[in-house]
Amino acid sequence: MSIKSGYFKKHLSVDLTKGSAEYRELSDAFLEKYIGGRGFGAKLVWDNLRKHNFKIDPLGENNLVVIAPGPLTGVYLPSSGKNSFVAISPATGLYGDSSIGGGFGVELRQSGIDILSITGKAPELSVLVIDNHETEIIPMPELKGKTSLEAEGIIREKLDIQTAHIATIGPAGENLVKYACVNADWGRNAGRTGFGAIMGSKNLKAIIVRGHEDLPVHDINGLMAEANKAFGYLREHKYFQQWQQQGLMNVIEYANEKGILPTYNFRDSVFARYDQINGETMLSDFKIGDSACFACSMCCGNICLVKSGKYAGTVVEGPEYESCAMLGSNVGVDDFAAVLSANQLCDELGLDTISAGNLIGAVIEGYEKGIISLADLDGRDITWGDDDAILKLIRLIAYREGIGDIIADGARRIVEKWPEMDKLILEVKGLEQSAYDSRAGSSMALAYATSDIGAHHTRAWTIAREMEEGQGWTDDERVKTVIYHQTLRPLFDMLGVCRLPWIELGLNERHYENFYRYVTGNELTLEQLLALSSDVYDLTRLINVKLGVSRKDDSLPYKVHSSPPLTGPNAGKVVDKDAFQNLLSLYYRERGWDEDGLPPDDTEKKFEE
Amino acid sequence: MSKKLTVIPEQCSDCRICELVCAIKHFGVNNPKKAAIRVINAYPHPVLRMPVVCGQCKVPACAQVCPTDALRRVDGIVRLDEEACISCFKCIEACPFGAIYAHEDCDLPIKCDMCGGEPECVKYCPLGALRLIPEHALGETKRLNNILSYTQMREIEFYEKGEKKTIRYAEIGKEEL
Repeated sequence: MSIKSGYFKKHLSVDLTKGSAEYRELSDAFLEKYIGGRGFGAKLVWDNLRKHNFKIDPLGENNLVVIAPGPLTGVYLPSSGKNSFVAISPATGLYGDSSIGGGFGVELRQSGIDILSITGKAPELSVLVIDNHETEIIPMPELKGKTSLEAEGIIREKLDIQTAHIATIGPAGENLVKYACVNADWGRNAGRTGFGAIMGSKNLKAIIVRGHEDLPVHDINGLMAEANKAFGYLREHKYFQQWQQQGLMNVIEYANEKGILPTYNFRDSVFARYDQINGETMLSDFKIGDSACFACSMCCGNICLVKSGKYAGTVVEGPEYESCAMLGSNVGVDDFAAVLSANQLCDELGLDTISAGNLIGAVIEGYEKGIISLADLDGRDITWGDDDAILKLIRLIAYREGIGDIIADGARRIVEKWPEMDKLILEVKGLEQSAYDSRAGSSMALAYATSDIGAHHTRAWTIAREMEEGQGWTDDERVKTVIYHQTLRPLFDMLGVCRLPWIELGLNERHYENFYRYVTGNELTLEQLLALSSDVYDLTRLINVKLGVSRKDDSLPYKVHSSPPLTGPNAGKVVDKDAFQNLLSLYYRERGWDEDGLPPDDTEKKFEE
Repeated sequence: MSKKLTVIPEQCSDCRICELVCAIKHFGVNNPKKAAIRVINAYPHPVLRMPVVCGQCKVPACAQVCPTDALRRVDGIVRLDEEACISCFKCIEACPFGAIYAHEDCDLPIKCDMCGGEPECVKYCPLGALRLIPEHALGETKRLNNILSYTQMREIEFYEKGEKKTIRYAEIGKEEL
């Protein structure tokens, strides 16, 4: 089978140690099997691991970071602005990926490549410029210590490329904070699993891309007709306008009502003053504009401005649900202006808002319980809703000062230092849990436990379905739903599109089979595409297994099993240990993995070529 | 009736669907860099997303500098005579809005032709940031918003069928100006 269109069939391989950049051809077999985005990344990271005998320091020169859009990125269809970052994660030491929206990935594709991979380490702080087919590594030591947004501004001015798309890291990335993020387009982030730290370890402050190539499309008229059907469906949806107005901020209301909103470090799952930090509050007092990723009519991004009070002048693209919950209710903050300020600070310093909010919540509870002392906090106490102390702690983390130096190394380092914190921190495989309480539903717990990057909802988000189905849902249905999510959602990351039109507004996934066919000319059914995505899930599992993962690591945080939420509709609920182990066994069987969670012996052969 | 393609930047989300549909319509390719409309961003101070597109000026600066008279305003649209154009791109430099574009693959300047009266960008903009407005109605919304933001206003609250409402009014003669 030859791939007719949809790809440039080019991989730009950059080695910062050698200062080299070379274009490599991509074979049709590779393109068809791995599709794009996360699929490309997983394969290249796997090859790199094999090359180095499975010994890669996530913050060492040999960690290869793959930045890959997909064949649908930048194409005329709903929400096609997605791009994946893939590498071995410093947060978990395992497979890691994170996707970023906005227009960065579109620009990267327009420079005529399908994959950008970066290895090595630049001798001094540098930026990588890809201007269509010209690539240059430029030392810019003057960017040292600059925040993400400052750096973006300076680069635009100094290199005189106003229209480029720029991905930067902040001080947190330079200081190798394990959950430092990459920020692009003034406020979109590849947030999770520490890509900021990886760039920091490579002395790479920014990636600047500009391109103007036509994106290859096999049948533009067919695509246009199909896309217009999809756009039309979204436009007519009863929640479409609400989406445009609130974006993901509408989830605060929902999560609180259902009792899954992380509150006081997951001590509670409802927040009494949730209405101070919800979408309505944002709309009435803070929102000044919409922000969309490329080709997205849903525009879930909000631009907010604080107009008065001590945070006046704070302007941020956000918050979205996760940031607002983790930097709001989870740390007891009921002042929306303070949430915005914390979000802006995290963006500026280049920190993942989820991990930061999760760990700050844990630190506050640890201090409350006497595990962490006042001396540990350098004499400045911290309590729920203490926005000054929370903002200060964010800075300490990014600059690795005082207690921040320990928190910067993530959940596992905190537990190493204060073993009793093990009962307070919610993480899986070393990645701090995101903002959906899983005690209300064991399928969500299973989703976190078996996610290949750790406790993040990106692979499967089954909580809403579980809430609808309630007690009547069988374990078999739970497992099948989690696996379907873990297959379809990563497929979106491989194609280079956003999953929200499907998960939030119910856009039929069959559209994507047609989009793929119109763009590539390749006739694959949705089922065939899903099978390819499932193979990539086996591959990321294989990577993790080779790095030491087995059943013992598909485990849940202490609180999920043993410490129920105190209030709300799910008060008293935990996930039963034995029931969860049964669920996990069922999950392994359904995947064709053995009782210890290992894929069959011949799995490795599938990914040799 | 002469209609003008009008940009309402406050409504723009930077999704760039306008760029895509423009390029697909005129060149048949998926390439926002071949569009005659582009969304330009400023952030964070000020925060602004501004689709930049030809306003079909009545006294077009582009036409004034064109050495071969290739740009002329006909029926309200500044049209490019492709035969006469020598691709000197003086028009791009002359346009005070930067609303004419160029691309390496294209010999001619890329300029909005209003799609013959029904612009694709207006049709597909998901937020109504691009509109076709009759010339006599230009500025209407701004005028209304401006009077509504008049600072010397009083506000009273009242209940109608149990629902709290407010009414704003200008109190005559009570305000020190």
